Amino acid sequence: MKNLSPQRTRGTQRKSFYSVFLRALCVLCGSLLFSLSRADDVLHLYIWNNYISDQTAQRFEDYCRCRLKQDYYSDNEEMLAKLDAGAVGYDILVPTGNAVEALVRRNALRPLDKAKLPGLKNIKPEYRNAWYNPGNRYSVPYAYTVTLIGYNKTKLKELNLPTDTWALIFEPKYLEKLKGRVTVLNSQRELMGAAMIYLGYDIQDRDPAKWEQAKELLIRAKPYWATFSNSTYIKDLAIGNIWVAHGYSNDMYRAQQDALAARRPFAIGFATPREGAVLAVDNFVLHQAGPRPDLAQKFMEFMLDGQNAADVSNLIGAGNPNAAAIPYIRSDIAGNPAIFPPPEELKRLQMIRDFDAKSRRTLSRMWTEVKVK
Amino acid sequence: MRGCSSVSEAEKAPSPALSRTLSRLRARVFPSPTPVDSPAPLAGEGRGERARRRQQDLTKWAITTPPFVFLTAFFLLPFLLVVAASFRYPGEFGGLAPLLPLLGAPGKDVGLTLETYRFFFGDLTYAEIFIRSFLVAGLTTLICILLAYPVALLIARSPKKRRDLMVLLVILPFASNLLIRVYAWIIILGPLNLLYTPYAVVIGMVYVHLPFMVLPLYTNLEKHDPALLEAAQDLGANGWTRFWRITFPLSLPGIFSGSALVFIPVLGMFAIPELLGGTGDILVGNLIKEQFLDNRDWPLGSMLSIMLTLAVLALAGLAAWAARSRRGEA
Repeated sequence: MKNLSPQRTRGTQRKSFYSVFLRALCVLCGSLLFSLSRADDVLHLYIWNNYISDQTAQRFEDYCRCRLKQDYYSDNEEMLAKLDAGAVGYDILVPTGNAVEALVRRNALRPLDKAKLPGLKNIKPEYRNAWYNPGNRYSVPYAYTVTLIGYNKTKLKELNLPTDTWALIFEPKYLEKLKGRVTVLNSQRELMGAAMIYLGYDIQDRDPAKWEQAKELLIRAKPYWATFSNSTYIKDLAIGNIWVAHGYSNDMYRAQQDALAARRPFAIGFATPREGAVLAVDNFVLHQAGPRPDLAQKFMEFMLDGQNAADVSNLIGAGNPNAAAIPYIRSDIAGNPAIFPPPEELKRLQMIRDFDAKSRRTLSRMWTEVKVK
Repeated sequence: MRGCSSVSEAEKAPSPALSRTLSRLRARVFPSPTPVDSPAPLAGEGRGERARRRQQDLTKWAITTPPFVFLTAFFLLPFLLVVAASFRYPGEFGGLAPLLPLLGAPGKDVGLTLETYRFFFGDLTYAEIFIRSFLVAGLTTLICILLAYPVALLIARSPKKRRDLMVLLVILPFASNLLIRVYAWIIILGPLNLLYTPYAVVIGMVYVHLPFMVLPLYTNLEKHDPALLEAAQDLGANGWTRFWRITFPLSLPGIFSGSALVFIPVLGMFAIPELLGGTGDILVGNLIKEQFLDNRDWPLGSMLSIMLTLAVLALAGLAAWAARSRRGEA
């Protein structure tokens, strides 16, 4: 009898294991069925991380009685590559201007039905009719960033350095005081573009001699830089390791807020250099293979509403092309000329356009030389 | 029965010397615990032996086929695709330009080309990055050997019940993500003024790859017969001689496999130089990643990775040749 009891325990254990397993299976199947039954009312977004606030998403779900599902990318190229590899099921993408152009050329986008988008009138005229999208046939601008200079206000005042010129990151006479305290973007188009702008050229210029000048400028300034950084500069600025960073306006805004929240003994500022800068506009577009263009258009119209459009500026400090949104945006953000460039400054901002393969290769070799030297 | 005996005759047909060579060869290709190079089976036990051998062959096939299929499907074919891509033109927005003229716009770059290779060999910038990467990888491997050897020896000489715990501790860092661990180094190196320097890159590389050196070394050292050391001691060898003449030579296979596990991944690593390195710390891995993501030049990226593979293979071949010639001497 004594021998039997452990076996019996094991038996009941097994039985309870099976029952748990079965119950879990039932729950799984149930939830699967449940989600399938609601599957026809799901809108799929393929979007930059942290680009739509939870409250906005919630509000839209309540409004359309559907579900909003977001997938994220951190790079236009990543998105393009995934779509090229055959990814389907996304209704809305949020590419930057040059990526919109790439998608249009590949016939990957569905034209907008403007009758369903009366809110388009809210878009400021300067953001309508962009080169990548004549007549807004495919895209609705959502938010934008400027690639500019972020800096440690307190430190730069101490060192008596100017803050409104690219010379700060390119000229040895300023950099001498900043050695090892400067980061620049690890992006050939952005950094070479900044150099071209500083030299007074157009960033779309394909003249190799001008690019060569830009390369020399970078090589001369490189010994003073700490590193090439695409994301760590936010933290480095906020904790005071780095005093000057070349980067995106929304990242600078975040560094500024982080430094404020941590009660650092210094303040972070950011400004668009007077020579001009790079502007990146992100747009909502309809993917050709998206199963629910109706819901997608509903979403676009919803996001064109001023109050909903304002969220992205309040959330991440992005610029907003929606005129109706301005009253809902916090005044310290709406009033910051580095986030919302005034019209006369907007003329000095340039958008990056894709180069042909040959120019890309030439540029890439120059970039590699910059890195090696 | 007749059929069977005729087969056994056919098998016996080659001369004994030849069949011995053949079976020895087979034994080398498919090492098995039972000695295969026994003399040709006697007529009496031929049947059972043959059945056993057929069973063995079947087992070998069953064991080797899945990895073979796996490697063909997931290594060889993709590699051939990469080779093919390196001879194409880059596409307008990334990817590859069309292969056939009628599919693309007329007059554009279509078809196959050697242009990418010409571009690579046309200037020394890329060679410089390759050399630098090999130096970093070599240095990382060397430091890993120096750091890992005492650890592996310590674990191997510890009491059995403590060993498992120590091995667990060695692999414990894998429990958290690589990027998180590298970010932690940013916090550590920042105040030491080492961040964004080549030192930071090597430190990061060594840190990440150390377990890959410790584990093969430990598995090797654990198998050493302590009797050898005792014998050496009895013969009057001191500690250093015992290590240098017995433990170290016996552990060479462990060092070699550990070195391969460290050296090759370091060459492809791009996250560490990007996060910890300064303005000059670009390695082949970064260069390749850049071609695919930032620059969208797939042919150039493919060509660079082929060059990397060839360089690694050449190095491995060189090492094997050196080892063989040394063994020949000895």
